[in-house]
Amino acid sequence: MSMSHRPSDETLAAFAAGRLDEGLALVVAAHVEINPQTRRDLADIDALSGAFLDSIEPEPMGIDARSLSIALPQRSAEPPQRPSAPPDAAGLAVLAPYTLGRWQSVGRGVALRRVEVPSSDSRVFMLRAQPGTRLPAHRHTGAEWTTIISGAYQHEYGRYAAGDFDEADDRHAHTPVVDPYEGCTCIVALTGNVRFEGMIGRLLQPFVRL
Amino acid sequence: MMVALAIHSEMSVPLSRGPRRRAGAALMDANALIQSIAQSSDRQAFVKLFDHFAPRVKALLMRQGTPADLAEELAQETLLMVWRKAALFDPTRAGASTWIAAIARNLRIDAARREKRSRLPDVLDILQGEEPEQPDQVFDGSERDSRVRAALTSLSPDQLRVVQLAFMEGLSHQDVAKRLSIPLGTVKSRLRLAMARMRGSLEDLR
Repeated sequence: MSMSHRPSDETLAAFAAGRLDEGLALVVAAHVEINPQTRRDLADIDALSGAFLDSIEPEPMGIDARSLSIALPQRSAEPPQRPSAPPDAAGLAVLAPYTLGRWQSVGRGVALRRVEVPSSDSRVFMLRAQPGTRLPAHRHTGAEWTTIISGAYQHEYGRYAAGDFDEADDRHAHTPVVDPYEGCTCIVALTGNVRFEGMIGRLLQPFVRL
Repeated sequence: MMVALAIHSEMSVPLSRGPRRRAGAALMDANALIQSIAQSSDRQAFVKLFDHFAPRVKALLMRQGTPADLAEELAQETLLMVWRKAALFDPTRAGASTWIAAIARNLRIDAARREKRSRLPDVLDILQGEEPEQPDQVFDGSERDSRVRAALTSLSPDQLRVVQLAFMEGLSHQDVAKRLSIPLGTVKSRLRLAMARMRGSLEDLR
């Protein structure tokens, strides 16, 4: 796992504060779930919120705790259940709240499945590519954020392997090549428009169009 | 082994430049109070936690731009969530303050995006509950909290201000620069130094 291909502190702070578009946030969340180092970085940022909470000048509450405590609901003996990874979501628990589309082959060893994120301005999908696939060259007007779930790919800006986070914006044009032995599964969020070139590009276009 | 964190107002960082106040509250072990709710639905513990945390949650939400009446409502909801979810509190992962701040954050996002039916609060909730990757790296979450607090007190006023705006009020670096009328590069370098100091103070816990 690469040590460098991770979100910036600014991106993590925006994520932790809930300021990111939900689609982009979901890709960051997938990275956080599988990358222990980023999980620690996020825990540090969360601890900052805790420190601020301890040290802030309190605002008086309009309600008295004692009156509220009388009406507290019965606590159930069982602790609430946490959702687990939905089947066939590459083990990602953060996908549990979402509806996933069916895997659809777009030819040349590439398959896609949509992740339905109704509140988002971005389009989110999982992408699975066979070993050695050359993904189409493309440019964007917005952002393309990717978390690699398994396998790897390489493009002009480096090699990205399982657990890595790849943050591309409109300054980048790239042509990813999938690892020749492992293939690659990733989750991608796109904002703005993407222009693909080549044949798979034309096949991908309907999936990523606004 | 769990080291209980004593929340003591005199140790707190004066975030505003205003006068320090000595709160009358005695030492409070928030971890133990949450665990007491988990074990025996302890209403006294709830009252103590509410008295300490609800006014702080309300203040934090207001600093993040939430209107006072909604902040009041969300602060109440946060403490009710503490009551309901007490059994999920794991002091090896996060101290009480950090756990409660995260609950408040999720409720704030939920309230802001309710009409858009965002699943983001659920996603953040799932990440909060993820098992630690390597059990030998588990340490007391309260220890992390108190070190982060100590690191904050060691910052210069200029550094503390950018950290507050970026991490507490949630502004982008660009907006921090505008607010303080300083160059973007200065914002970034101050934050880098502040984060390095904070992470340095946590190094031996890794």
